[in-house]
Amino acid sequence: MRKPWHLAAVAVLCFFLLSPADAAEKVYINGIDANFPPFAYVDKKGVPDGFDIKALDWIAKDQGFKVKHQPQDWDSIVPSLLARKIDIVASGMSITDARKKQVNFSTPYWKIKQVLVAKKDARLTVEQALAAGNRIGVQRGTTEAKWIDENLIRKKGLKFQLVQYDSAPMAIEDVLNGRIAAAAMDDAPAMDAVSKKKAVKILGTFGMPDELFGYAVRKEDTAFLNRINAGLTKLMKTPYWKELVKTYINKK
Amino acid sequence: MPESLLAVLDALPYLLEGSFITLVVVLGAMGFGFCLAVPLAVAQVYGPRWLRPLVALYVWFFRGIPLLVFLFLFYFGLCTALDINLSAFTVAVVVLGLISAAYQSQIFRGAIMSLPEGQLKAARALGMSDAKAILFIILPQALRLSIPGWSNEYSIILKDSAVTYALGVAEIMARTHFVATRTYQHMPLYAAAGAIFLVLTWLGIRGLRYLEEKVRIPGYSHHEF
Amino acid sequence: MEEPILKVEGIKKRYGKKEILRGTSLSIRRGELKILIGPSGAGKSTLLQCINFLVRPDAGRVWLEGKEIHHAQGRELHHYRQQVGMIFQDFNLFDHLTALRNVEIALVKVRRMSRNEAHDRAMAELERVGLGDHVQKYPAQLSGGQKQRVSIARALAMDPKVMLLDEPTSALDPELIGEVLAVIRDLGELGMTMLMATHQIAFAQALANEIVFMEDGLIVEAGPPEKIFGCAENERTREFCSKVMELYTDNR
Repeated sequence: MRKPWHLAAVAVLCFFLLSPADAAEKVYINGIDANFPPFAYVDKKGVPDGFDIKALDWIAKDQGFKVKHQPQDWDSIVPSLLARKIDIVASGMSITDARKKQVNFSTPYWKIKQVLVAKKDARLTVEQALAAGNRIGVQRGTTEAKWIDENLIRKKGLKFQLVQYDSAPMAIEDVLNGRIAAAAMDDAPAMDAVSKKKAVKILGTFGMPDELFGYAVRKEDTAFLNRINAGLTKLMKTPYWKELVKTYINKK
Repeated sequence: MPESLLAVLDALPYLLEGSFITLVVVLGAMGFGFCLAVPLAVAQVYGPRWLRPLVALYVWFFRGIPLLVFLFLFYFGLCTALDINLSAFTVAVVVLGLISAAYQSQIFRGAIMSLPEGQLKAARALGMSDAKAILFIILPQALRLSIPGWSNEYSIILKDSAVTYALGVAEIMARTHFVATRTYQHMPLYAAAGAIFLVLTWLGIRGLRYLEEKVRIPGYSHHEF
Repeated sequence: MEEPILKVEGIKKRYGKKEILRGTSLSIRRGELKILIGPSGAGKSTLLQCINFLVRPDAGRVWLEGKEIHHAQGRELHHYRQQVGMIFQDFNLFDHLTALRNVEIALVKVRRMSRNEAHDRAMAELERVGLGDHVQKYPAQLSGGQKQRVSIARALAMDPKVMLLDEPTSALDPELIGEVLAVIRDLGELGMTMLMATHQIAFAQALANEIVFMEDGLIVEAGPPEKIFGCAENERTREFCSKVMELYTDNR
């Protein structure tokens, strides 16, 4: 009859053996939103992949540090960074003043437009999509979620309803289901969706200023930020950078 | 073959790896919860008068707050405040374990109280201390009676464990989500995840039923429980 | 006169408003079989359980072999209880253990015998009560009479100086009473000191050294069987005895 408790003990043991990170060499953890193709996602084998992943891998090799990409919930990615659960966010993060108060950003590496995505056969303009009574999807915790709420809804007084999703692809799923008229997101993932799903199209921009992507690190990690910047500047001058852009973002 | 089926087949090894992580989280949490729940239950039934309300408080606290709130409080709040850097995996096991301890302690408490009073009396009459009586006489019987409740608890924790994906634990749910956002095959993938959970539930319940049969006391009827 | 092996004095116990024992005193000498009789609710069972502190008396003192027992102290109490065997009305065998393990467990866990030693001793006791062929059975597989005999073996294995028997045959079907009484009779013949509450008048008449009649938490009268059953001084004793004689003589 003793067996079950032995089993439990083994389970507990497993968990203590598996959990502690090897402290021998510092491995920098890159917290990614694995639901943000093409910048960050996991490939068929479950290995993190994407534009930002490949770029950071190159930088790490160049600057001589080790990096591990760890999927995180986007909602809590900044708290995770501050709580030292992760050391860097290279996952399509927009540089904003609000975020700058909490973290430091690398030099910008990508300019991004915010667009609306709707069903392919929908006869909609951006204005019509944002009409009163419509529902517009957006990913929770993103700059576009914040900007739309502050500018279009509060300032301009538009009467559409904002629906928050876990990820941009989930918002697209609901565009296809017809639950929402359109979804707002960065242009790169929008193009990614269009390339994978034939049934959606990009309606166009909706007035949100362009944004810049940068890698976020903790404010106190200045030496690390310098290495990142040095590597990034170098990378952006190489042909590999153009190749990355071609492979991941501008696929056509 | 339709694209949806291909996506599921492609993702299957990755999802099955996730179910291993799910299982380790669940078994770890149940084991950790068990280690806490037994002393809690014993304290609530036999403990000194001042200790009993404290156990009740623990149970009330951990049953009353949603799992996600605890996960965030623990992962971001407590770990930072105490300056300990626990992995999402560890936090998932500890938090699920703490909550499970509250539920398991009530399963054990019910089982202990369902035993005839004479069992403890007979043990005492033989000169056993209360500690020995509880360890050798009460618990072996109470734990047997707890197995059906345990299998219930297993299926609850199994499903609860899906919530830990919010911390980035790479269990079934998180992995399904990742694959779905890459391939845009939400429906078939979540259906596959659901099927994996069903299989895990079935396996666990079968396992516990086997255990129950294995430790059943010959001639002793369990029908009243 | 020989020093009594067990002596209790002024035992009081109340549950709420109900006074169960109102200052009961008695003593028993080595090798004596003393039988408690009285209507149900007289306090016989409570008295027996107060003697080994399974029920905490509100007042009163207990001596074993002239040494007073201070029941508040754990270790002394456990040691005392080992020397005072207890047989319950409803057996209270440990349901999860075989007959053999029921007898062994206290030998191993309390008296710290080795498993082999405990096994041999337990086998000997079970054979003595005629259950050598049933040692591997669980309580639920035994008849009531067999269960009670296991419980006697379990108590005997501890080498008690006194045995307290709380209506050992009351829960048994009539045809099983005889086998248990036979075991108790054998014990008496071997010189075991016993204090037994029972309604088995014929058994008491034949074997008891002294009969103690209890009513309402008090000892009304005590004396040899021929006196109590023949010419008791107290009218209540006579009334009770004549009633039980009628009741029990034919369905022995």
